[in-house]
Amino acid sequence: MELTDADLIARVLGDDDQHAFGELVRRHQSSVRGLLRQLTRTDIALADDLAQETFLRAYKNIRSFRGEAQFSTWLYRIAYNCFREDARRRKELVGVDDEQLQAEHDPQTVDPGLRHDLMHALSLLPLHERTAIVLCCQNGLSHDEAARVLDIPLGTVKTNVLRGREKLKRTLAAWAPN
Amino acid sequence: MNAMIDDETLDRQLREAAPYIDDEGFTARVMVRLPATRREPQWLRAVILLGVTALGSGGAYLLSGGGRFVREGMIQLSSFPIWLLLVLAFGCGLLVGAFAVIFAIRKTPEVRDVTQLRF
Repeated sequence: MELTDADLIARVLGDDDQHAFGELVRRHQSSVRGLLRQLTRTDIALADDLAQETFLRAYKNIRSFRGEAQFSTWLYRIAYNCFREDARRRKELVGVDDEQLQAEHDPQTVDPGLRHDLMHALSLLPLHERTAIVLCCQNGLSHDEAARVLDIPLGTVKTNVLRGREKLKRTLAAWAPN
Repeated sequence: MNAMIDDETLDRQLREAAPYIDDEGFTARVMVRLPATRREPQWLRAVILLGVTALGSGGAYLLSGGGRFVREGMIQLSSFPIWLLLVLAFGCGLLVGAFAVIFAIRKTPEVRDVTQLRF
């Protein structure tokens, strides 16, 4: 029988079992790296560096995980904080407006496949909407969980998801093949 | 084609569009960077702490003449005026309360996060 996240965390806490933590990393690396790739606009090297930092922080602070939320939610929160700190360091965390985003969008390079269209459309959203969409729509977090991850009011998350969805729909409609 | 897409379909397509990222050595790179494990397991630390505490208590009991000082202390305490006992009890309460507050703050992850991790 496969051990649950809670079992593995108990092993890390009780016996400082690094193999158990390794299993947790293996289980969650894809979603954490995926989230960070979206946040960093597919800068894979930076996203993976931040993902490593995320798991290191998780290991060092695993005693502060109280089990009230899912382990993945807790990881997303750490990942988002790592991203914010890095962005602050790089002085890149500024309000990215739609004009800038549209300027980055080159229709000639858009892949015709829906998957690529979606991911590209997602990468064009402003950071706060993109993050909310990735957490709620892609990773299945509730609005409440996303609000805790992002440390913003619940209403703001709902607004960001709503606006993000609308923009995605508009963008995808514009890209739809004739 | 996607003009009439609904929320549920969009969410499903977003989930399906998110690629699974192969590990490709990522976990190994994280494991290499983990701090070294403590040598002794948690239970051994507990046993050592309990053992030292029991030894210390036993030693103190023997050295104090079988705990005679406790009896003598209680007799002396009973001879104190009532106002002094009240002051002592109040002071002890304050002290214990202060320790409890400090302990509670230290055990609250949100506070610890703010001070240590800037979450």
